[in-house]
Formats: sequence, structure tokens, C-alpha cells
Amino acid sequence: MPKSRVTRRQLLVAVAPAVAALPLAKVALADPSQAGSRGTHAGMDMHSMGHAAMSGDEVPAPGGPHDLDSLLYPPKPLPHEPGRVREYALTAIDREIEVIRGVTFAAWTYNGTAPGPVIRATEGDLLRVRFTNAGTHPHTIHFHGIHPSNMDGVFEIVEPGGSYTYEFPARPYGMHLYHCHSTPLKKHVAKGLYGAFIIDPPTPRSPAQELVMVLSGFDTDGDGANNFYGVNGPAFYFAKYPIRVRRSQTVRIYLANLTEFDVLNSFHLHGEFFRYYPTGSGDHFEYTDTVMLCQGQRGIIEIDFHNTGQFMFHAHQSEFTELGWMGFFEVVD
Amino acid sequence: MEAGSVADRGPSRPGVWRLWALVPILLLVGVVALFASTGASVLDLVGQAPPPADRFDVRRVEFRPGEIRIRVTNPQREKLTIATVTVDDAVFPFRVDGPSTLDRLRSSTVIVPFQWVDGDPYRVGITSSRGIETTTDIAAAVESRGTSARGFFGYALIGLLVGVIPVALGLAWLPSLRRADPRWLAAFMALTAGLLSFLALDALAEALALQAALPSGLQGPGLILLGVAASYLLLTFVAGRFSAAGQRERGAPLEGVGLATLIAIGIGLHNLGEGLAIGSSIALGELALGTFLIVGFMVHNVTEGLGIATPIASGARISLVRLGGLALLAGAPAIFGAWIGGFLSSDLLGVLFFALAVGAALQVVVEVARYVARRAPGGLRSGHVVGGYLAGIAVMYATGLLVG
Repeated sequence: MPKSRVTRRQLLVAVAPAVAALPLAKVALADPSQAGSRGTHAGMDMHSMGHAAMSGDEVPAPGGPHDLDSLLYPPKPLPHEPGRVREYALTAIDREIEVIRGVTFAAWTYNGTAPGPVIRATEGDLLRVRFTNAGTHPHTIHFHGIHPSNMDGVFEIVEPGGSYTYEFPARPYGMHLYHCHSTPLKKHVAKGLYGAFIIDPPTPRSPAQELVMVLSGFDTDGDGANNFYGVNGPAFYFAKYPIRVRRSQTVRIYLANLTEFDVLNSFHLHGEFFRYYPTGSGDHFEYTDTVMLCQGQRGIIEIDFHNTGQFMFHAHQSEFTELGWMGFFEVVD
Repeated sequence: MEAGSVADRGPSRPGVWRLWALVPILLLVGVVALFASTGASVLDLVGQAPPPADRFDVRRVEFRPGEIRIRVTNPQREKLTIATVTVDDAVFPFRVDGPSTLDRLRSSTVIVPFQWVDGDPYRVGITSSRGIETTTDIAAAVESRGTSARGFFGYALIGLLVGVIPVALGLAWLPSLRRADPRWLAAFMALTAGLLSFLALDALAEALALQAALPSGLQGPGLILLGVAASYLLLTFVAGRFSAAGQRERGAPLEGVGLATLIAIGIGLHNLGEGLAIGSSIALGELALGTFLIVGFMVHNVTEGLGIATPIASGARISLVRLGGLALLAGAPAIFGAWIGGFLSSDLLGVLFFALAVGAALQVVVEVARYVARRAPGGLRSGHVVGGYLAGIAVMYATGLLVG
């Protein structure tokens, strides 16, 4: 979010609309040599559409091409078998993570990443999550969903070195989330203690190419405002490593917003519409290309791509986009 | 190394004291080496060092066609790495002219390809590898011209307009002053002291304001003291030489051309700082340099010429060439200042120049006061002198409103 800003000179107000057109000149001047490095399909027009600055080699995303696979691709869904035990082990670890190329952030993580691992169960499963606190502060895991009071991660504080096992039947089906609920809450969430929690319905969803996207920000200088934004962690990651999907099959995104400090975040897809199921707990959906989420809000997106090529997705808060919350789908046949 | 032997041998050989003077220094080196090898554990007993502040010192932001250039310095002891650059809260690719990781007080220039909008406000941010962002606000983007013959000439012209010409015009009061009553001449001398007092305070305020923005490692206040003391004592020395050259008695106050020269030097040093301030403000787009401002500086500085002319009025005739020389001595530094400010824009030099101006102006005030005390009818307490001094301050204040 912007900090206090010098007031625009009064005189400029009159001419601002005229000069504001100037950035468009960049469109015409976009460096064609950058476009050449990235395939020759229909989507390469993207490079001359003003996004040229943040695609290709110049994108300051850290890490390698498959670093985020375990967060992007969820575990496979299992068929409905009430009473089956699903076990996960989560450990809180203090860890320096690279949030944009060259910038480290002293994060608090579940299992070493922010967001933490994707937890998945089928409705009726008995979920058993063993939590160990290997960090330096008291932590918990607070799951969204329906569960007993002592499994809520609010009163059972786990001190450093301690552990706790959360056990409850997974319900209701939908896209949920989990996060630390120690105080100060804002700090524990902003530091990176959160993740996606998927509960599959008793009747399986149709087959799809499934993806998980957890939206978050990183306040690297501790001033209570995010410096960088990202999907499943680092800024600009999917701009540097586009997500490859097939046109022939539905793309299903389990989407959750865990951005601290900012009131809202959003998801916008270029060149396509999608069905958005709020919380994923029912059948009603909205057919749109933009959804808006407050912190903790989540849902399921289903896309049937009509075209192949590169399609951008990003927050429709332009500021978040340019601070890292953007990426590309590469749709192929 | 026994104390007894020092006492025994010390006085016997002249010059040996210099050798013995090295003893504390050698001991210090030894103790420092000992501490450096174990020092960290000593500090652990009393606390823990805080993490580095990681703030960049942004020296200069320039807008060139299609790019923004940001000159940054590392003001802290720890190394500082330029990791990410934002313009108006958006990440942009950049390159660094120089090292990305800066040692203490080292600088690099960050170059961001960027289609900026003329006249728009911008905020540039440099984020360190530890995630700390330093932001700088630019009130309005204005294209910075690089070093060119055109720019060189332009700054020279500005220096000429605000420095040399007003002083030369002020010197044209000389024929009038020659015919003035001695009481009135004393009043104008006091007026000179008044305006120099004003300039001294003005320069001190500028120096203090500029030093506040310097990295603390550069010790702005100490630099100001150094500048003030150096210029004051240097001018005292020069005044002494002028007196000696004039074959006068020791300690006699300067007068005539000698005093005028001293005043010209004091004013010249002030104009050096003023030229630097104007030059850097133009280069950084902080100054709307209009006709009005130039006229303001001319009116403001014309009184400086009067100050130089007054001591000459009571003395022998002076050639036009020497008069022109005095005008250059007082006014031309504005040209050099404008060049330095326009092309280098160094806050450090600005602090130093203004500090030099403070010391010089104060020294000249003292010299003028001694002159007036001895020569003026009625001395320092006459109505003309008191009124003239106050009028000098008032005139500077009033004309200063034009450039404020």
C-alpha cells in the first residue's frame, strides 16, 4: 500500500489526463528482442501489450522452474470412505525465504514454505494433523471448517519445542484454509503461517487439471504494509515460469486469500471467463473474469479455455500486480 | 620502557621528543589489535548489536529520456546490497552502474528504463537484500541534462546574472558615496556589516539544513565548524597581510581597497554556496527558475556591491580594472557554484561551502566593525551606524522575500 505521498501539484491536475497517455507510448516501443525468447504461439502478442517489462529473463523471481510444484499441484483426491484416517505432519520452522530475487524475508513457516503445504481430505475422513513447534515463538494451527472447540487452534497454544495433534472429521466439503492463531495474530499471519485446506465432496468433482493458489504479501521492512505480493510465495514466480495447462480439460483452481494488511485482494484472468464457486461448498457459481476476496475468503475457479497461448492472471489491484502478484497460463493443445 | 630512562635522556637531545611521541600511538595500535581479536565477546557481555538499518542514502535522482538514474550511497558500516527497485510502488527491471553490493560510503548509480511523465511526482524505492526499502519522493519529474557545452554556458550565465552583474551594478554607487557625508558613509559601512551578518546567518542555516541530510558518518556539524573556523582564521591571516603590506601599525583596522577586497572575498564565498544551491536545485528540478527569481536574486545581491563600494569611497581613487576585479571576486564564485551544483550536486560540498561563507562573513563583519569604531564620527554608538546596521539586515530580509 502506498505510504504518505507528496501532493500532486495543483497545476498538473489540469494537464494530467493528457500526459497520462504517455505510458502507452511504451506499448509501441516494447523491446521485440524480449518477445523472441518465448515461443511463437498466439500468446506472444502479450509481449507487445505493455507487460513486456515483466516476462522473460528480466522477471526478478527467485528459484527454479519446479520449486513451487508441491504447493501448486495438490495431492490427488481420494474417494469417499467415511472414517478413513488422513494424516499430515506440520512443523513450524523459522526460515529466511527469498521473496523476490535478492531479497530475503525472515519468515515463520509450516514445513519451510510460506504458504505451508496443501492439506487435503475427503468429507468424512478423520483428519489427523501432528503439529510440532520447532520455531522460537508459540504457534497453533487454526483450521477453517467444522470441528470441536479444542481442535480450533485458539486456546491450545503450542510453545516452542512442544507439539499437539489436531484430530477431527473433515467437513464441510469446499476450499478452506488454515493459519496460526497465536497473538499478535497479524504478525503470525504476515510472517507466513498459513496454507490451503481442501475438503473434497462425497461425490467426486469432475476430473480437472487442479491447481492451488494462495494469495499473500510480504512486509519485508516491518512497517505494516506489504512490500511484495505473490501466489504461493515469491513475487513474479509464475510470470517467470508460466503454468502449462491443456485446453482440452477444465482447469480447477483452489483459490484462497491470506494477504495481511490489505483489506482486499483479487484474481483476474485475461482473455477468458470462468465459473467461480464461493467457498466451493455448493453448486452456485458466478460466471466472470474477476473475483474479489477479503482475507480468509476463498473459492473454486473452473476455467474451460477457448484459446491456446499465453494468458495473464493477476490481482486487479494494479499495485499488487506490479509488486509481484502476476503470472501467466500457457495454454496448449 | 621505563619512565626513569625517559626523564634521564629526554632533555639531552633536541628532537628526540618526536620519537617518544610515537609511544602512545604504538601502544594504541597494540591495544586495538588485542581488542579486535577478542572484542566481540566483550560486547556480548553488555548487549547485542541491533541489525543494520539498511537505509540507502539517495544522493540524486535524475530523469533522462526513457530512464531514471538514482545515485545511492551506503551510509552504514555493514555492506548494503541493491536488490530491488520500485517506481511508484511497482517493481521494475534495472541495472547498476557500479557494484550492487556497496561498502561503507561507496556509491553506485541505479538505472531504471522507464517512460516517465514530465512534471509528474514520483516515488522511487530501493530495497536492500534484507528487505528494507528506502523511498525518495520527487515532487515533479524534470529532465536532467547531462554535461554539455550548452549546459555549461547556461549555468555560467545564471551565475553571471545572479552574482557578477548585481555586484557590479552595486559598485556603481561609488561616485555617489564619494560625495557623501562621513556620517552617511559610516551608515553605509554599518549597512554592509548588517547585510554580511544576514548572509552569515543565512549560510549557517543552509549549512545546518544540508548537513542534516548527510549520513551521520560524515559528521556534518564537525565539518561546519571546520569550515567556519578555517575561513574565519584564513581571512584574519589575509587581513593581517593586507595591513602589513600597507606599512601600517600592527593591529590597525583595514580600510580602503584592502577592506573592500576582504568584503569581496566574504561575499564571494557566500555566492559560491548560493550558486551551488541554485545549480543543484535546477538540475534536480526542485527550482522553478523563472524571470522573477532571477530578478529577485539580482535585487537581493545588488546591495553586496554597495557593501564593497563603501570602504573604497573614503580612500584614494581606484581604477576600473581593479573595480572589475572586485566585482569578479565577489560575483564570479556564483558561476563556479552553479557548475558544481548543476553537474555534481554534492551535499557534502554544499555544507562545506556554506560553512566557509559563514566564517568569512563573520570575519568581515568584525573587520568592518573595527573600521567603523575607529573612523566613524561618533563610533559604533552613533545613530547612523546603529540605523545603518539594522537597515542592512532589513534590506536583505526584504529583498530575500523575492527569492524565498
